[in-house]
Amino acid sequence: MKGILFLARTHVLTAIRERITLFWFLIFPVFMLVLLSLIFGQIGQEGEINLDVAWINRDAGGEDPGGFTTAVESVFERLGTEQAPGQLPLFTLHRPDPGEDLDTFLEEQLTLLRRGRWDAVIVLPSGFGQALYAGIAGAVEPGEGTAPLSVYMSETSVASTMAAEIIEQVLGEVDREILARTGRFDPSLAVESETVWLGASDEETRYVDFLLPGIVLMGFFVNGLFGVPGAILFNRDRKVLRRYWVTPLSVPRYFAGFALGHLALCGLQFTLLYLLGRYGFGATISFAQPAAALTLLLAALTFMAFGFLIASLVRTANAGMATANILNMPMMFLSGMFFPVAGLPAFLKAVVYANPVSYLVVGLRTSVGVESSSYAPALLVGVPLGWIALSVVVAARRLKWDVER
Amino acid sequence: MSALRALIVSEARILLRDRMALFFTLAFPLIFILIFGFLMGDIGDVSQASMGVFVAPGIDRDLLDGTLSTAGSMAIERFESLTAMQEAVTDRDVDFALSWDGTDLRFFYDANRVQENFAFQQVAAGLSSDFNLRLQDAEPLISVEPIDVGEIESTGWFHLVLPGILAFSVLSSGLFAVSGHLTSMKERKVLDRLVVTPMPPVALLAAIVVVRLVVVYASTLITLLVGVLAFGLRYDVSWLRFTVFVACATVGTMGLGTIIALLVRRPSSASNIANVLAMVMLFLAGIYFPVEFMPRFLRAISVGMPLTHMANALRYATGVIDMAETEFWAITLSFLGLAIVLFPILARYVVRPLRR
Repeated sequence: MKGILFLARTHVLTAIRERITLFWFLIFPVFMLVLLSLIFGQIGQEGEINLDVAWINRDAGGEDPGGFTTAVESVFERLGTEQAPGQLPLFTLHRPDPGEDLDTFLEEQLTLLRRGRWDAVIVLPSGFGQALYAGIAGAVEPGEGTAPLSVYMSETSVASTMAAEIIEQVLGEVDREILARTGRFDPSLAVESETVWLGASDEETRYVDFLLPGIVLMGFFVNGLFGVPGAILFNRDRKVLRRYWVTPLSVPRYFAGFALGHLALCGLQFTLLYLLGRYGFGATISFAQPAAALTLLLAALTFMAFGFLIASLVRTANAGMATANILNMPMMFLSGMFFPVAGLPAFLKAVVYANPVSYLVVGLRTSVGVESSSYAPALLVGVPLGWIALSVVVAARRLKWDVER
Repeated sequence: MSALRALIVSEARILLRDRMALFFTLAFPLIFILIFGFLMGDIGDVSQASMGVFVAPGIDRDLLDGTLSTAGSMAIERFESLTAMQEAVTDRDVDFALSWDGTDLRFFYDANRVQENFAFQQVAAGLSSDFNLRLQDAEPLISVEPIDVGEIESTGWFHLVLPGILAFSVLSSGLFAVSGHLTSMKERKVLDRLVVTPMPPVALLAAIVVVRLVVVYASTLITLLVGVLAFGLRYDVSWLRFTVFVACATVGTMGLGTIIALLVRRPSSASNIANVLAMVMLFLAGIYFPVEFMPRFLRAISVGMPLTHMANALRYATGVIDMAETEFWAITLSFLGLAIVLFPILARYVVRPLRR
């Protein structure tokens, strides 16, 4: 037992001392946690998006009987200023200097929009206030009295498309306000739409709660995929293992020490990522429940077995690393770990269904209450166990524990 | 000249025999396209979304139908019971849903679709606003006229992903070519034998560059062709810009690989560092996630990444984004400049025997 514990300790220390292992083992999962939280955790949140919008008012100084042009402009001005400390204003407005030629300015802004520098260009046409007033006064037929306003956008830019939608919503609100003030719309009779979240709780799952189980599993996966073949094959090729075999140490005892060390590394990895998720990003999910703990254990064992499977199928350490590199991205991303896989075509869905990571991700998320499983419960355990069995059988038959003479 | 030819032939043979290197250069970009093209294509795009609708029995449907007619290309699926509709949302048979019982307008979302709900909520806000106006027989006073300024025909995110992957392929190939290949030659003492011959170091570098240039260019063409034939993508490629850029970017990133080769001794370390750098850039350079989704400070970091500019230049050369001509050539010549500055250093300090 002492020998096994010693080997486990050696495995952990070696992994931590190798800077590249440390990168994949800890820094990369942390990098992904931070990056994805920053990108997807804030999409569409007020105070987190800021759109560069050029504003051209061709109606300034024109007839504006109801003061509507000024009112519309003031709404955008307000949205262009910081609403609360630390929160970004929705728009950064770019306006022409006093006396600047508006046609030239518009051309410049459209070029900037085409090149992705700006997200939208709004042009209030000459006569906008007058047209709006005429519409309110009923001087024109219904449907013809609308005051047109141009929003230039670029469909090749996601931000520009989003900006156009937001601007349309803002103008919709302005429209309702004007209609209400002129007695054409009664806000008290308006039907307020209600949002209903369908899930474990009556609110939307926080992105970090959704992401954290995936990141933990990614850490385990990378650890098994690169760490296991790396340690076994490099030690074999550099004849480190051969030195073990001239001692009374047997392969099963070496394996027991290695597996214990690997599980300890996974435990360490989980602890660090969980603490970062909880205290750095405010994750609220709890893994302290039997189903979650068992899924984590199953995941660590599955990925370790998978690492042995790779080690037994290749001849050299470099080939092992290359194989791991090839499998890494497809297995990680075709599992639903980070992005939804429901919309994938059938041939990629087949990969998703064969991928043990898919079941472990869904199993872990279901156990912590951030996903309702789309797989039968038996599959969540059965498929990873099947991979473990396959890996054990193949590794037992093919894995060479010493270099060939 | 015959020595250079012999070196080119030998480098070409080495590369062709290295199945793994060939796989990474030729097949990996295709795998990336397959995975990420389908995965990332739909994020934020509601035109392909589906919405469940339930109207309580006895309630007039016409009003809601009028609003739903403004939902564009989104698929509408009607349900006879509220429970069935809620189940369809949680089973993801529909993306989100709407119920109207004559008093309450309720939108149902799957709480766990954290990456997509924001887009569905935007659609819901528009529908709700339109519904309220119809309810009081009011007509909007301000009409918004969206005008697409793109001189380029509207392209989906997938169109932008492919040139990004080509850029990543050029970057990783360039980084690994020098860092991995030369350190490997050093480790196997091949360089020791070569440097005692009359071969100038620059001839070896030239041979590596020529072979890599051909392979990288072929790889980009194959990837582009697969994108066009298999996925129906359309590109208006400016072949002059494309060819010159791929050539300059390949030699430029090889120059960047020099720095790695200078820092490490073992080929595995060189590959590891190149791998880490490429991976970090891959996620920050707007290849898979639009840069516009990122917070400001990440956008600023993104601007500092060579891969960001490589991706944009290739998007411009393939006709999917607009860019100032001067900016494109500035990027292209910067990579050429990197190669011009770094290659002499490479010849002087890297192409020499292993330090003992």
